[in-house]
Amino acid sequence: MSDFQPVLSARLGKKNSCALATYVADGGYASWKKVLAGSKTGEWTPAKVTDLVKASGLRGRGGAGFPTGMKWTFVPSREKRGEKPVYLLCNADESEPGTFKDRILIEKDPHQILEGMMLASFALDVKHAYIYIRGEMVHGAETLNAAIDEAYAAGLLGTNVLGSGLDLDITVHRGAGAYICGEETALIESLEGKRGHPRIKPPFPAVSGVWDAPTVVNNVETLCCVKHILDRGADWFKGIGRNERNTGPKLYCVSGHVEKPGVYEAPMGIPFRDLLAMCGGMKGGRKVKAVIPGGSSAPMLTGDEMMDVPLDFDGVAAAKSMLGSAAIIVMDETTDIPKAVTNIAKFYAHESCGQCTPCREGTPWLHKMLKRIVNGQGKKADVEMLLQVAGQMGNGMTICVFADAAIAPVLSAIPKFREEFEAYVSKSATPGFDQPAAAGITSKVAERTAEGMHS
Amino acid sequence: MAKVTVDGRTVEVPGTANVLEACRAAGVDVPHFCYHPRLSIVGQCRMCMVEIEGVPKIQASCTVPVRDGMVVLASSEKALAARNATMEFLLINHPLDCPICDQAGECKLQDNAVAAGLPVSRTVEPRRQFPGYDRTSIGPHVIADMTRCIQCTRCIRFCSEIAGTGELTFIERGGHTIVWTHEGKELDNAWSGCAADVCPVGALTTKEFRFRKRVWWLDKAKSVCDGCEIGCNISIEHRDRAVYRFLPRVNLAVNDFWMCDHGRFRAEELNGNDFTRPVLRKAGTARETHWGEALDAVKAAVDAAVAKDPASVLVLGSARLSTEESWLLAQLFKGTVGAPQVEFHADLGPERRIKNPSVPGGWLVGKEAAPNSRGAEAAGVARAGKGSALARLLDGSYTPEVLYIADAEFTSRASDPAFILALCRAKTLVVHGRRTNLLTDAADVLLPVASLAGKEGTFVNVLGLVQRFQLAIVPPPIVRTDLEVLLHLGKRWGVFDTQWTAKSVFELMKGTVPGYAGLGWDSAAVAGNEPTVSPTSAYDVLLERRLSNPAEILAAAVAEVAGGEK
Repeated sequence: MSDFQPVLSARLGKKNSCALATYVADGGYASWKKVLAGSKTGEWTPAKVTDLVKASGLRGRGGAGFPTGMKWTFVPSREKRGEKPVYLLCNADESEPGTFKDRILIEKDPHQILEGMMLASFALDVKHAYIYIRGEMVHGAETLNAAIDEAYAAGLLGTNVLGSGLDLDITVHRGAGAYICGEETALIESLEGKRGHPRIKPPFPAVSGVWDAPTVVNNVETLCCVKHILDRGADWFKGIGRNERNTGPKLYCVSGHVEKPGVYEAPMGIPFRDLLAMCGGMKGGRKVKAVIPGGSSAPMLTGDEMMDVPLDFDGVAAAKSMLGSAAIIVMDETTDIPKAVTNIAKFYAHESCGQCTPCREGTPWLHKMLKRIVNGQGKKADVEMLLQVAGQMGNGMTICVFADAAIAPVLSAIPKFREEFEAYVSKSATPGFDQPAAAGITSKVAERTAEGMHS
Repeated sequence: MAKVTVDGRTVEVPGTANVLEACRAAGVDVPHFCYHPRLSIVGQCRMCMVEIEGVPKIQASCTVPVRDGMVVLASSEKALAARNATMEFLLINHPLDCPICDQAGECKLQDNAVAAGLPVSRTVEPRRQFPGYDRTSIGPHVIADMTRCIQCTRCIRFCSEIAGTGELTFIERGGHTIVWTHEGKELDNAWSGCAADVCPVGALTTKEFRFRKRVWWLDKAKSVCDGCEIGCNISIEHRDRAVYRFLPRVNLAVNDFWMCDHGRFRAEELNGNDFTRPVLRKAGTARETHWGEALDAVKAAVDAAVAKDPASVLVLGSARLSTEESWLLAQLFKGTVGAPQVEFHADLGPERRIKNPSVPGGWLVGKEAAPNSRGAEAAGVARAGKGSALARLLDGSYTPEVLYIADAEFTSRASDPAFILALCRAKTLVVHGRRTNLLTDAADVLLPVASLAGKEGTFVNVLGLVQRFQLAIVPPPIVRTDLEVLLHLGKRWGVFDTQWTAKSVFELMKGTVPGYAGLGWDSAAVAGNEPTVSPTSAYDVLLERRLSNPAEILAAAVAEVAGGEK
């Protein structure tokens, strides 16, 4: 592992890294040209590209870690979908707190993304692909548009690309900065010009997505990986990483109390301990108290739990959290966990789309309760109630997994740092008022209504 | 078709149904807010949560299509806990203003809170307020109060999917989400009252009914709107001889679940009776009198005129009279009296429309501004066209001795002086009237009659359907219905019996009036659906009908299952 050379971030530090000329000089668009030339001779077919991506073991870098090649195969065949086009959407709505890997790729190496999109479009028979970019990333949108203009001028996009007979357009669409628009169906709704409300699934986007047409939504980093798989082959990609199920290079966004926070590229599955060393260790040599390994929606782990966790999809899942977008938020022993959780809860209360009742009402409720606790007005029963309220928001109670994301910090932090929450409550200026034992009430009501239901 | 088992009861439902509909078909009433049978499925209130065997996560039943052999646990502990949770979330910010909320009594939130909510509130946080978005007019008829809103989007979907006008939208997001009109727009489509109907809570209420009456005091009478020829089925909601509102009554063939604002807000207009006694006017002097003298005067004038020339009597019926009344009018004058000119005129427009998916084109259109021109024609009253006596009267080529107008409001021109002057050329003008207008002022004999709410009968609507309307409020003393007036008048020629009712006239005429053969006064087709308790879930009437005999349905379902196994 020590001989690992950065792949995705290799060009980020170079001068004029956004320019087409430097990208081509570094071997860029070779795969696109190779595939287009091969498409005429039959050497390259969409199925071959898809098979290559499947063989590489690439899993989606957006958060869920779903195998990319498999996602592509869910698109109905041409016979089944009839006249409907297929759309490729590049999800550049990077807004998970702690995540900033896509932004640097967009701002420093846009052609890498475009080439990945071109290759994916070839594999999926896409004629028009979109980049849905977060509204705040103004510079990123400008960079992408400049890169797209260059690509059109060089004949890499447009009609009859490089004489291959294939057409491809790429359009940048700026969002308005809502977190939920990173959820793929909300992104689709937003791209259609509607409010960013996640859709009921099924149907999944691969069958009916944007404008009711089959749609594949892939993350920026995922599409970059596609380019490199086409460049160097599936076996090379598979050779990087901890095991067969967690392959390839990975960008880690490290933030918090480390000496050198930033984006680090490492082989998938690097132990947290090693990544921390890459970041220069903890600030001031302090101890790791807690780590959120995958963006604010991932359950929090304690420093001890975290140290030897391999940072890949299965490794972090085994530690009962998730890799998510690999946004690793490191908190040292000076961190006030209840305050940190309150801060995260505030974010989710602000970003809930407002569609489903449990999330629309539950996220502000959690925030209000936490705020009250850290303001010294909590009650003894509040800590338990936080767990109960959070416990009745997720797991199918809502259309999308936003609520599950919102409750993860609460449900993970309270059991692990309960004494901190209770310390706030015991210092509280408003003691007393013992809430009726809430759990008891719930079950009694359930009994009552079960009896009375059909009477 | 798919066989679905809900809490042990197996029902067969169409393959296009969702699990919520299957539950309801099986007699398990899963509480819900955002689901409405005519609106798209959004699955966002998260109230109708059920467990489905083989599906690990709890599901919103309205979002899941049925599958053959599906087993649904609608009342399991997990399902009830989920619904309790949703109720708790809905109630933490809902104001406790039921005592001053018009929706109380027909509020889905209130009903579901009682059925599925926690007995105590666990929240101590301040409740959410929407300053500037509470108790605010958003259109000519609707007041919005966002503190009560549960964001089910039924009203938004009604406006975009049924009305097709899309005035309403979500604004803001998360806990701040409100439903409001688009910038610079008003909720002013022709069916805006229905947006308040579908609102499960008191977030949208109508100005006309707001603070007027507690809904549980209201009695309901099945009636038919007389605003146009569509004949929307309505429920006249009344109390103590006063009409408070109209609500649409479900009729899938006619108005579906809806009615237009033009019809809906006619409700309180039915209350007034400007005349409490018959009025005789002689030489410009009017005096109140009793029915005997008034009707005798009518008979004397008609007899004298007919003796001279039967064509000197012109009887104007109305497309606003019931078919029974029109039939009596035609029988009396054309048959007994021998005055052949019995005509009616119906105003055209403005056009009214009602969305109905069962109609080709999706819209039922009413062009005539009166409910029963088809019934009048069927009963033998002629439509006044070119060359008719009415036309000749208006162009000055004909002057009747007696002009008998059975409805003072038969046309909007009844307030047009030139029109009235033409009619006044008749020597004797007899008018059935309720509200003062130029025609009643000009009448030589004014006969006070009841409004639609005070009588019963049948109308034939634009589709040719015979629809019965029932008595809602008894008219004031001495005021009679048009039917009674005609019966008493006919008795003077010895032909009608004053003991007859609308029903007995219906039975007498149905053999001869086209379209009425074989119909029953009390048959479901004529009498229509019962009104529902709440406009919010008017579609429950369909469920109730299906559930009227659960044992029978179960037996049928069992038989079907057994039959399938053979």
